[in-house]
Amino acid sequence: MKRDMVTFKGINEGIYLEVYGSDIELIKKELDEKISKQLNFFQGMKFLGVKAEGLTPEQVLEISLILKYKYDFVFDTEEDPLNRASKIFVEKDRISDDLSEGMTKFLYGTLRSGQVIEYNGNIVVVGDVNPGAVLKATGNIIVLGVLKGVAYAGLGGNNDAIVAAYDFMPTQLKINDIIVRAPDGGISQYRSPEVAKIYDGEIIIEPYLPNK
Amino acid sequence: MENEKKGTAIVITSGKGGVGKTTTSANVGSGLAILGKSVVVVDADIGLRNLDVVLGLENRIVYDIVDVVEKNCRLKQGLIRDKRFDNLYLLPAAQTRDKSAIKPEQMIELINELKEIFDYIIIDCPAGIEQGFQYSIAGADQAIIVTTPEISAVRDADRVIGILEAKGLHNPKLIINRIRPEMVKRGDMMNREDIEDILAIDLLGIVPDDEEIVISTNKGEPAVIERRSLAGNAYMNISRRIIGEEVELLDLDNNGEGKFTKILKLLFSK
Repeated sequence: MKRDMVTFKGINEGIYLEVYGSDIELIKKELDEKISKQLNFFQGMKFLGVKAEGLTPEQVLEISLILKYKYDFVFDTEEDPLNRASKIFVEKDRISDDLSEGMTKFLYGTLRSGQVIEYNGNIVVVGDVNPGAVLKATGNIIVLGVLKGVAYAGLGGNNDAIVAAYDFMPTQLKINDIIVRAPDGGISQYRSPEVAKIYDGEIIIEPYLPNK
Repeated sequence: MENEKKGTAIVITSGKGGVGKTTTSANVGSGLAILGKSVVVVDADIGLRNLDVVLGLENRIVYDIVDVVEKNCRLKQGLIRDKRFDNLYLLPAAQTRDKSAIKPEQMIELINELKEIFDYIIIDCPAGIEQGFQYSIAGADQAIIVTTPEISAVRDADRVIGILEAKGLHNPKLIINRIRPEMVKRGDMMNREDIEDILAIDLLGIVPDDEEIVISTNKGEPAVIERRSLAGNAYMNISRRIIGEEVELLDLDNNGEGKFTKILKLLFSK
């Protein structure tokens, strides 16, 4: 499929225009088509700027002026659109403030002995984690089933990370750099979800009690 | 742990799987520890580790043999001290890797290091005669062959003895595991002499088939520690023979019952 030359992208603060290619006439033509199709959609939105690596500063300015005067786009600031565009470039990787706790990996089914799941973010297992399986996350770990394997949460310095499981019987548990193991001998099974977290420099495990 | 010990490395192998290598490793390791020797049991079954579970030490594993060999940690960080004996240690296998993670040369280097710390190094060999077997026997000074009184296990044991000899590991010792005296008496099971005839190596011990082994394995408590069972006693005797004591073979007819119960059973069996 042919890549669109112009694309409007939305981030938290508003929308911006991303341009590929360097043929200014073609770009202007595609821009006109795009906007005329969805003009209502863009009206009232805060416009942040134009990001175009293939165009000269003058051409970027030209596009900005078309948007401003032909289509009545509301510009974010009276700042030079070029400056805005470079800032957007930095912001592009940041997804949204609402996701500051990171991304989450979902796993479905049983994790078995010898399987290792490592994730830069949170891990949610919809299933069981058998003994010998290992979960490593920089964020939280939630198991909607039996957790019998090894769970390392908050790796890399996150003291607020938690490990929670519907049936909580991990062989070994680690949050940030604190490590604990299952007690020797039979564990009295606590048939209710439990949550482990760091409290006062120690890992504590408590039943999960909804406030009801 | 003191230095400059120059210990003995013994590999426990069988060829066939499921004949009791891991059980033997755990019990002989614990038995030698009871006798006051400093012992490390090495789980060489990378990818299918069990020895940690049988010893009840699974929850203590942080580093494993591959971490040690790849120098991700120091040797002493990889060693797990037993919860019952201060002079017994476990070097666990990695569960998330496979047999290609270790080369024979690395194993030799590791075992030589362990020999300076421990009196005995017990290596729990994986089943088969492939890579895992090859690196397991690489550093060993002696070998113990475990077999059961079944023709298939004996056949594999014979093959393994041949390979060991070709590799320069002479005079392996034999353990016949899971023998059932009443079946032998009926002539339904190979007896000790049949097996010795075929394999023609020295007998180190005979271990009877015993429910207690299943129970102790599931509890993570080697049977040799409590010694309530015949099998536990058999393993203790084997441990004594390893350190050079002369111990007679167990009377397996005495099935853990007193003579009185036996007479009662005979009386009421009809």
